[in-house]
Amino acid sequence: MKNDKFRLIIMTILAIMVLGTAILYFTAIIPGKETNSGALIPFLIPVIVVVFMIFFITRRYKDIREGMPMEDERSKKVVMQASAVSFQFSLYWLLTISWLEPFFAKVLFGAEKLDASQTVGGAIAGMAIFFFIFWFYYDRKGKLI
Amino acid sequence: MKNRIKEFRAKYDLTQEDLAKKVGVRRETIIYLEQNKYNPSLNLAHQVAKALKTTIDELFDFKD
Repeated sequence: MKNDKFRLIIMTILAIMVLGTAILYFTAIIPGKETNSGALIPFLIPVIVVVFMIFFITRRYKDIREGMPMEDERSKKVVMQASAVSFQFSLYWLLTISWLEPFFAKVLFGAEKLDASQTVGGAIAGMAIFFFIFWFYYDRKGKLI
Repeated sequence: MKNRIKEFRAKYDLTQEDLAKKVGVRRETIIYLEQNKYNPSLNLAHQVAKALKTTIDELFDFKD
């Protein structure tokens, strides 16, 4: 239980640091500069991650207060299964980005090509979203192997 | 895999939370076990059976 509280504190500190870094980035790129929507992607990724972490931390904090463990064999299986399935979907997502790169570049950023940060940002954001969706699905409804 | 956890829990007047604390798992795990939506490991099945003062054979139906 003490170990669980320590882990939760570390996760909270990490979430605050990620959010802080994102805010610093956001304040550094926005004032007085012309920005396109592509510049916001590196800001959106940590926001997605932090939203997921806040959701996770609040749920686990409530459990710890009620005397429940932070994780058990089922919750570990949920994470494992969500990771495995989201990994497969991420591969397809990466292929989609590479195949439809000119389309994404034109529609999202009004450019001919995506630059490295836009590509990597889009890939990471997709992976994070897939993991969150599958984690939520397997935690609520999924039949675990 | 069907089980009689709910029946045994009622017999000993335990809530899902009480049983979860006894076994050392999260309450959701007990909920999904009772709904036959989660097949426990042998270790967890043994711990649940022990907490409900019964045996694995009595608690779980292995026919499915």
